Amino acid sequence: MSTTTPQKKSAVESPEQIERRRIVEQFLLFQESLPKVDALSYQWLLNEMVPMSMAVENNLNQLDEYSSLSSQSVEPGSQDLNEEFSELSLNKFEYTPSHKLIAQLHNANDDQKDKSNERLFKIGSGIGSKMTELLIFSNNPNLSFNSMDALGMVRFICKEVWKQLYGKQIDNLKTNHRGVFYLFDYEFQPIQNFALDDDEKVLLDVVAPYIQVPLGVISGILTSLGVPEDDLSISFTYVDIPEDRRKPLGQFPKGVNFNIQINQLQNSQD
Amino acid sequence: MSTTAGTPNTASTANVSSLASSKTIKQIGETAWKNRTVKINAELFTLTYGSIVSQLCQDYQRDFKKVNDQLFSMGYNIGIRLIEDFLARTAIPRCDNFVTTSEVISKCAFKIFLNITPAVTNWSTTKNSFSLIFNENPLSDFVELPMDASKELWYSNILCGVLKGALEMVQLDCDVYFVCDVLRGNPQTELKVKLNKILKDEMPAGED
Repeated sequence: MSTTTPQKKSAVESPEQIERRRIVEQFLLFQESLPKVDALSYQWLLNEMVPMSMAVENNLNQLDEYSSLSSQSVEPGSQDLNEEFSELSLNKFEYTPSHKLIAQLHNANDDQKDKSNERLFKIGSGIGSKMTELLIFSNNPNLSFNSMDALGMVRFICKEVWKQLYGKQIDNLKTNHRGVFYLFDYEFQPIQNFALDDDEKVLLDVVAPYIQVPLGVISGILTSLGVPEDDLSISFTYVDIPEDRRKPLGQFPKGVNFNIQINQLQNSQD
Repeated sequence: MSTTAGTPNTASTANVSSLASSKTIKQIGETAWKNRTVKINAELFTLTYGSIVSQLCQDYQRDFKKVNDQLFSMGYNIGIRLIEDFLARTAIPRCDNFVTTSEVISKCAFKIFLNITPAVTNWSTTKNSFSLIFNENPLSDFVELPMDASKELWYSNILCGVLKGALEMVQLDCDVYFVCDVLRGNPQTELKVKLNKILKDEMPAGED
């Protein structure tokens, strides 16, 4: 990241430096000792949210349809129909494989897409607010939340949060110092393995829901650190990957630019 | 997905005789966990799963049976892909019997993916169903359920789906369900795996 200050290593360390180094080492040891799970399990869990969100959408719509249908058929003589419907409701959790759900989501109407995206955003935001707690109580000596300004919070997201979630930091952070931040991740980890034979436009469209979760995470972190939700708007765009970061194989064709806007700051400093 | 059905056959035959001893199974699991696994903080895993479950409870307006079903089918979708990675990472050959299968699930699969080793017990006399007892469960660490949820919700139901999906991909048609859960106030968390039949090679469900 461009914003980090390089630490010079002096030949002789002062007692404070030694003490600090000891604390940092202790912290790392403690982090090592915490229970771990397979990162791949986590990856599956993260990515399965997207088809799940569509499945929920389908099920909720079916429930609506069913209830409106059964309310119509209360007339006498329609008992057969009612039985039929109750059978339908037994089978309503028919299993749909993930790839079909993703295709359905791609072809869904805007309303369904919005609802599904909102669901993913909310899950992300739940993850974000709980992560704040987790990271605050981790006693990381490199972090101090006492006097954290907006830039500090965004840096915290770029480094600590991204590292925990995706095993890497945000590649580049740009800001106008008035509440607008651009976070560039040229290798956003959950989508790196995605590829389609179709043209790139379709691929980018299919992958878009997967980026709702990190948007939610960012929102969850910032609101739990005290930024009012109404002042916050978060979106993303795809960006080209700079020449020096391109790889010949196994890379998603675009980078992701997370765009954070905190209105409060814009107004107060105008 | 077409490769999955054939995978057990292609695994090395050298291990077949040695797989009989449960010590070897344990070693395979531990080696894979130590050397071939990228690890992340378990707390992160817990809180992510928690966010999913709580969102589902909200979406289905606390109809917990539907939440159970949704978690199950989510797990099923993970399971049918997880098995490929599992077989690739461990190179485990075909299991001779269901007892070996249970050992592989407990000491290899759970070890590699969640770093836990649930105990295998409660075998039926015909040896076609067993229970897994979870002393620890990274899905539900620090979780407490509200009163209404603790009667109907199977919080970790995604595990049943994963097992169901993974076993089906190696031709084992099983019923997988929770019998009790400490989150519901039961003394232990018990998951039942019951073998219905061994499937013939066929297309996975939902594949046209």
